Amino acid sequence: MMDPPPGVEDPRAPAVNGDTNHVSKKLKLSFITDSEIREEFAHHQSGIARINNGSFGSCPASIIAAQKIWQLRFLRQPDDFFFNHLQRQILHSRTIIKDLINADHVDEVSIVDNATTAAAIVLQHVGWAFAEGRFQKGDAVVMLHCAFQAVKKSIEAYVTRAGGSVIVVHLPFPVNSNEEIIAEFRKGLARGRANGKKVRLAIIDHITSMPCVVIPARELVNICREEGVERVFVDAAHAIGSVHVDVKDIGADFYVSNLHKWFFCPPSVAFLYCRKSPVSPDLHHPVVSHEYGNGLAIESAWIGTRDYSSQLVIPEVLEFTNRFEGGLEGIRKRNHEKVVEMGQMLAKAWGTNLGSPPEMCPSMVMIGLPSRLGVLCDDDALNLRSHLRDHFGVEVPIHFQVPIDGEIGAMDGDGCVTGYVRISHQVYNTLDDYIKLRDAITQLLQDGATCKMLQTE
Amino acid sequence: MAAALPHHNGTTITAAAQNPTPEPKPITPSELRSEFSHHDPTIARINNGSFGCCPATIIAAQRRHQLLFLRQPDDYYFNTLKPSVLRTRLLIQTLINADHVDEISVVDNATTAAAIVLQHTTWSFFSSAFLPGDAVIMLHHAYGAVKKSAHAYISRAGGHVIEVHLPFPINSPSEIISEFRKTLQIGKSNGRIIRLAIIDHITSMPSVIIPVKELVTICRDEGIARIFVDGAHAIGNIDINVKEIGADFYTSNLHKWLFCPPSAAFLYCKKSDDDELSDDLHHPVVSHDYGKGLPTESAWTGTRDYSAQMVLSEVMTEFVSRFENGIEGIMGRNHEKVVEIAEMLVASWGTEMGAPPEMCSSMAMVGMPTCLGIRSDFDALNLRKHLRECFKVEVPIYYREVHDDCSTTGYARISHQVYNVVEDYYRFRDAVNKLVEDGFTCARLDLQK
Repeated sequence: MMDPPPGVEDPRAPAVNGDTNHVSKKLKLSFITDSEIREEFAHHQSGIARINNGSFGSCPASIIAAQKIWQLRFLRQPDDFFFNHLQRQILHSRTIIKDLINADHVDEVSIVDNATTAAAIVLQHVGWAFAEGRFQKGDAVVMLHCAFQAVKKSIEAYVTRAGGSVIVVHLPFPVNSNEEIIAEFRKGLARGRANGKKVRLAIIDHITSMPCVVIPARELVNICREEGVERVFVDAAHAIGSVHVDVKDIGADFYVSNLHKWFFCPPSVAFLYCRKSPVSPDLHHPVVSHEYGNGLAIESAWIGTRDYSSQLVIPEVLEFTNRFEGGLEGIRKRNHEKVVEMGQMLAKAWGTNLGSPPEMCPSMVMIGLPSRLGVLCDDDALNLRSHLRDHFGVEVPIHFQVPIDGEIGAMDGDGCVTGYVRISHQVYNTLDDYIKLRDAITQLLQDGATCKMLQTE
Repeated sequence: MAAALPHHNGTTITAAAQNPTPEPKPITPSELRSEFSHHDPTIARINNGSFGCCPATIIAAQRRHQLLFLRQPDDYYFNTLKPSVLRTRLLIQTLINADHVDEISVVDNATTAAAIVLQHTTWSFFSSAFLPGDAVIMLHHAYGAVKKSAHAYISRAGGHVIEVHLPFPINSPSEIISEFRKTLQIGKSNGRIIRLAIIDHITSMPSVIIPVKELVTICRDEGIARIFVDGAHAIGNIDINVKEIGADFYTSNLHKWLFCPPSAAFLYCKKSDDDELSDDLHHPVVSHDYGKGLPTESAWTGTRDYSAQMVLSEVMTEFVSRFENGIEGIMGRNHEKVVEIAEMLVASWGTEMGAPPEMCSSMAMVGMPTCLGIRSDFDALNLRKHLRECFKVEVPIYYREVHDDCSTTGYARISHQVYNVVEDYYRFRDAVNKLVEDGFTCARLDLQK
């Protein structure tokens, strides 16, 4: 049975929509079977080893069907839906999320399209602060070197452009322990502040995207507080459904996670948690509509005529996770165990290593690619990925790890390991998926293929 | 793929959109009913203007696109997404007579387009290209969300917002032109610089067609550098020729009158010699493609369901083409019908239309009997609710403040789209007559709370 988050009984408030067929503590007679799982994901392309749940997530057939019902309810009588149902249903979804993440007030939970949108909200707010003189030119924003590319661009668009400066903190990879990350972060932050810059915001990933590692977010948030960083934004795009999320424990001012990655929602939906503070009224959705000024959560619930159905299926998704033993907790524990097992299998087969120890892996693992493949730049990684998709039916993202001057990175028997695959495990994955990847790489090695050769494709 | 695309002002249809196939069979009344059988059959749905509509064929097309993504999202992202959006953009370019497909971005809705244009203006204030007190001129009847956006992005940045009050009810476009000219002069007095004009092509409430071409010309004559036409209701409703209109920015929703599912819109940005203008438009949701031009930025704003943006091609070839004279025919017939119906209603109620037929699109403003006692926006909303719940009629009502006891204070905005039948409007006519007969007033609704 799924352990409810602390202090919560039934996350669904029956009074909100009168539905009584959602019960979080239903006595389970049987869990979802393997064949039912296959059916739920029968719409996935067959013949593809889909080991990249991290990029775009996945959505089971019963949730697609639930979404369709919501879509049709709107199309059937949109005015009635708009006036009488939509806001209530979004509030219901927000309430479920609030309980899942241990937030204090539902006001602190806004639903937005994706983490990219959440970043724009927080960073636009920073941009205004510069323009309106609350922040001075040169005040800084801290980000990780491996921050998601979209977030980096958002910093450029809203911070740099407004006169702010950026402190970039490099974290080690491959990495052996949380302590390494904590030490590097502390050093990087101190270095960046050396000239007395005021740090207005730090953006920290909870799970970095590429390369993928679970970051000790709570510790880094504490360091930020110690170092006088005014606000902390945790970009946890991958987190919900793949690691335990407790926003109060992590203690950040802003926390975002996508629900379509590891929480089975259809594309796309994310929550942005904003701890109650004096700046709360000043956070705005960039697409301004009728509800401007009524609080971010209310603003985000109406940004013009849209299809909001992906935001409405959260109750159904919770039900779906409860068909699994242990619910969401059970799913993520098993995903983690399996992905580590697969990772170790691949590392052994290729003579390489994992990029981080198991306890720093969520439902994804970075595994070194044999150096002989010669992944020497980002384009190599992309070409190899396409090659694996087109010629081997394997979908897996590949990371090029830039060697750091003066440091010897990971090595295998033939040289420096600069390429890593990021494998994911979600409930629909089977052993065959990873064997396919293992054998594809082995085949390429046997053929003496290198990324340079793939360039000409 | 593409069969008979509507010809528009002799512009050439690109090769990508041209493909000789047999003429599709004309849609029969029973097929038409079937296309909209998902609409609530108990409701007289005479409010296409607010949320639009989507035929079953297009819902099915959208599902196919949705499933294509879910099936193998990486492959879709790398190989299918951008070419599919490009196809939509090329079609739009043709429909609105734009010069280059680079001028067309696909966004979620007109509200988003407004945020793009207005945020751009904010940066002009931040960089001191515009100074505090520089103004933006817009219509008093501009859409509520756009007004809020002007507050959020212009007023907040130090800009001054000038509103042009237009008469309503109205008798001719010249009334609009002269009010606009007058307000513009007043606005410019004391040397104030007007930096941006936001002009509706069809106002929302009350709904009338605005003579945008003339107003744009006036703006240019008065040295206004940037003009944004909010044509949210326009495409599929009236002709749009962006070159003729001459604005710098033009937006319209595809899900209102052009049968796309919620939601999709385009933002046209005229290519300009002014680098600052063309290079510097950004989607507020910044992603990987920031800096590569608005069309590219808008095509990826993070993982999303983009399927609503992908089906315009199917709309034109699998739906619109089955109607006589395609979209032109649909627009013409909707307009004729809504005027005919408006005249029927005002005759029955003893009221008047809010605007002459030539200023009505596929929507018309019909005066409500004054004895109903619509005294506020709140009353208008309550009456709308009452009509929905007790008479099963869905129609938005506009409240107009007056200073006498006999002028009309309430106008219904009736829409006509291909799924409407005359019985929808008879029901509305009879509902209002019944209310009048019963001595109903909006004050009664207060007591029911």
